[in-house]
Amino acid sequence: MFVLKRLLVAVPTLFAVSLLAFWFVALIPGDPAAQLAGNMATDEEIADIRHHLGLDRPPFERYALFLRGVVDPEVATSYRTSRPVVQEITERLPKTLIIAVGGLVIGLAFGVVTGVICALRQGGWFDATVTVLTLAGISMPIYWLGLLCIWLFAVTLGWLPAAGAATPAHYVLPVLVVATRPAALFSRLVTANLLEVMGKDYLDTARSKGLAERTVILRHALRNSLVAAVSVAGVQFGGMLGGSVVTETVFGVPGLGRLLVSAVGSSDYPVIQYCVLLFAVFFVLINLATDLLGQWLDPRTRDYAAA
Amino acid sequence: MTRILPSLLSRSGLRSVTASLLMATALPLAALAAPEGELRIAVGADATTFHPHVNSLPVGNAVDGLVFQQLFRIDGDNKVVPALAKEWDWSEDGMTFTVTFETGHKFSNGKPLDAEAVAASFNQLLDPDSGSIFAGLYSSLGEAEAQGEDTVVFHMAEKNGHVLMLLANTAASIIDTEANAEMGAEYGFYPVGSGPYMVDEFIGGERFSLVPNPDYEGPRPATLEKITFMAVPEDGSRMALLETGEVDIVDRVPAESIDTINALDNAEVILPDSMFSISMEMVLNGPLEDKRVREALNISLDRDGMVQGILGGLGTPSEGQVGPGTEDALRVTFEPKPYDVERAKALLEEAGYGPGNKLELTVNCPNGRYIKDAQVCQALVGQWQAIGIDAQARVLDLPSWSAAHRVPLEERTYDMSMIGRATAGIDFTLYRLFHTGVSANTTGFSDERVDSLLAEGRATTDIDEQKEIYAEVQKIIWDEMPFVFLWYQKQAIGISDKVEGFTIRPDETMLFDDVHVSVDG
Repeated sequence: MFVLKRLLVAVPTLFAVSLLAFWFVALIPGDPAAQLAGNMATDEEIADIRHHLGLDRPPFERYALFLRGVVDPEVATSYRTSRPVVQEITERLPKTLIIAVGGLVIGLAFGVVTGVICALRQGGWFDATVTVLTLAGISMPIYWLGLLCIWLFAVTLGWLPAAGAATPAHYVLPVLVVATRPAALFSRLVTANLLEVMGKDYLDTARSKGLAERTVILRHALRNSLVAAVSVAGVQFGGMLGGSVVTETVFGVPGLGRLLVSAVGSSDYPVIQYCVLLFAVFFVLINLATDLLGQWLDPRTRDYAAA
Repeated sequence: MTRILPSLLSRSGLRSVTASLLMATALPLAALAAPEGELRIAVGADATTFHPHVNSLPVGNAVDGLVFQQLFRIDGDNKVVPALAKEWDWSEDGMTFTVTFETGHKFSNGKPLDAEAVAASFNQLLDPDSGSIFAGLYSSLGEAEAQGEDTVVFHMAEKNGHVLMLLANTAASIIDTEANAEMGAEYGFYPVGSGPYMVDEFIGGERFSLVPNPDYEGPRPATLEKITFMAVPEDGSRMALLETGEVDIVDRVPAESIDTINALDNAEVILPDSMFSISMEMVLNGPLEDKRVREALNISLDRDGMVQGILGGLGTPSEGQVGPGTEDALRVTFEPKPYDVERAKALLEEAGYGPGNKLELTVNCPNGRYIKDAQVCQALVGQWQAIGIDAQARVLDLPSWSAAHRVPLEERTYDMSMIGRATAGIDFTLYRLFHTGVSANTTGFSDERVDSLLAEGRATTDIDEQKEIYAEVQKIIWDEMPFVFLWYQKQAIGISDKVEGFTIRPDETMLFDDVHVSVDG
C-alpha cells in the first residue's frame, strides 16, 4: 500500500519533469536543423531540415508528441540518427548501470569492512592508513584519478585495457575509480556511527548477556549504522548516474552520460528530453528503494511511514 | 569540365581504355592478395550514422568510401577521378549531363547496381523530404533519369560546371534505396552498399567494424580482414590506446602529446595538411566597413608566433581563404599577411581611431570546436589591445556560437567570430561565403565584380576559364579582407609502424585503398 501510494505521488512529479524537460530544452540556444545542416547551409536548406524534423509544428503539438513518445517508441526518434530514442537508450543504459551499481556495491563493501575494522581498532596503523586513503578518495576528482589509473594499470603495467567497453576487463578500471568516493564516504560514516553507538545502553545489555564483542558490533551496532549508510547510498547512486558522463568520457565507455552530453552538443532534443525524464524516474525509484530499505533496517520508521 | 581530371582522361576514347586498364591490372592483384590482418583505429568523434545523405563527419565519409561505390571519387591527392564512370558528357546547352558507368556490380544483398538504382539513389539525395541534408547543395543536378542498364542522365536545374566535384563527394555514394526504405534508420548503421567492405558490427558510441564484402569485384579490393573503429573522445585515453598497442592509429593527437608518441619505439605522428581554414569572420556593418581597419586587424597579428606558441605547430599561416586541397586546380595562394604593428597603428589613426576614440570590438569564439580556439581568442584580443583597440573576447558554448551567425547582420552583438571552413569545392565555398545575399554569407560581404565572376564560374564548364575566374575572385577577397585570415589547421595522426599505405585526405577522410598491417607485429 505504502509503495503504491509513493508511486502515485511520483506521477505528478514526473509530469512536472516532463514539462520542464520539454520547455527548458527548447530554450537551449542553437537550432538542431542548423546544426545538422552545417555552417555553410543556407536558410532555405535549414528550413527544409526543420520541416523534416517537425520543428516547424506548434509547440503544444510537439509536446503532445513528446508525451506520446513515452508509450509509443516509434514517434520518439533521435534527430541525429533517426533511430527510436528508446533504442539509443537501451543500448547505452546497461553500461552506465554496470559502472554505477558495480561502483556502489564495491564501495559499500569496502566502506563497511574498513569502517568496522577502524572502529574496533581505533588509532592503530590500519585506522591511520584508511583515514589517509579515504581522505584521498573523497578529494580526488574522478577525472584525474581515471587518467592516473589508465597511466598506471594500462600504459605502465599493461594489466588492463586503457579504454573501451568490449570485454568485462574494460569495466574493471571505471568501476574501481567510481567506487573510490562511496568507499571513502561509507568507511568514514560507518566508523563514526559505530563509535557513537558503542557506548549506548542497549549494547551493554547485549554484552551483559555474554555475547562476544564482535557479535555485539556486527549484529546490533552495525545494523543501526547502516540506516544512515543506506540513505547516503541513495544519494550517491543518484550522483553516480549524473556524474557518469565524466567516467564514461575518460574510459571511452558509451553509456547514458555520454549519450546525453553528445545530444546536448548537437541539440538532439528528443534524446536530451527522454534522458532527463529517465533520470527523473531513476531518482524517484532510488528514493523509494532507499526509504523501504531504511524501514526494514529501522522498524521505528515503519509506524511513522504508515501514519 | 572533364578536364579537371588528369589530362590523360580528357578525351572520351581514352577514358574507357584507361578504366579497362585499371580493371585489368587490379583484378589479378586482388586475386593474389587475400585480405589479411586487422586495423584498429581510435577516433575522437562518435560516428552518428553512415547514411551518406545525412552524414557530415570525416569518420562517416571514410566508411562510406569503403562501403559504397560512386560514379567518381576523390583520391589520396584530392583529385577527382572516375570510379564507376566510364564516359560522361554535357549536352550543347549545358543543361543535361550524361554518365555511362561500369555494370556488373552488386549490392551486398545481391541486387544489381544498375541505372535504375543509380538514378533512385540520386533522386533520394535530391529530395529534402527524405531528410537529406545535402539536398540544397546538390539541387543543381535537377533530376536523375535511368537510360538503359548503364547510363544515368542528370536533367540539370541550373548550369553547373562543378558537377564532377559534387559527384565525387561521398554524399553522392550510391545507396540501395529499396533496402533503405525497408530498414529505415538502421540503414545508417548497417548500410547496404556495393563497395569492398561492409559493416559487420555497430555498437553506438563505442566501436564499429568493417569486414570485406565477399561479392565485391573491382579495382579496390579489401586488403584487410577487419577494420575496427573505436570512439574515444578523451585525448589522454586515446593516446594511451596507441601507447599500449591496443590500436594502430589515433586521430587528433594533441600538440602536447606529439613528442611522447614520437618517443615510442613503434609509433610516430604524421602531420598532413588539413583544408580547414580558420579565420575571424567580420561583421561588415559598422567600423569594419572601413578597409583600413580590416587591414590593421590583419597585419597586427604574429601568426607564426601563435602557431608555434599556442597551436604547438599544428597550423600554417593562411595564404588565401580556401585551404589546401580545396580543388587545388582552381586554388591560388598569396603571401601571408605581413606582421607590421607600426603600419597597423598608422592605418587605425588614418581611419580616425586613437587614444581619444578607441575602436571597440567584441570577438566571438567557440570553445572546443577548433584547436585551442578559446586560447587563440585571448591571444588575438591581446594583440589588438597592444595596438590600442579596446577588444573583448567572448568565448561561447557551441550552440550559442553557432546561433550567433544566424542573427540578421544589423542585430549582431559582436564584430567578429572565429569560424573554420572546409569544403571540397571552390564554387561551393566562395559562392556561399561571398556572393551577395546568400544566407550563408555571414559577413554581409558584397562586391559586384565578385558576384558576376561567381555566376560566370559556376556556369562555365571550361577549366581554363574557371582558373582565370576563380583566381580573380580569390585575389579580390584576399585584398578586401572581409576576414582576419589566421591559418590552416594541420592534422596530427598517431600511427603504428605496423601500418603501411595509410593515407588521409586534406578533408580529414581516411583512405584505406592500399593499407596493410604487418601481422607478426
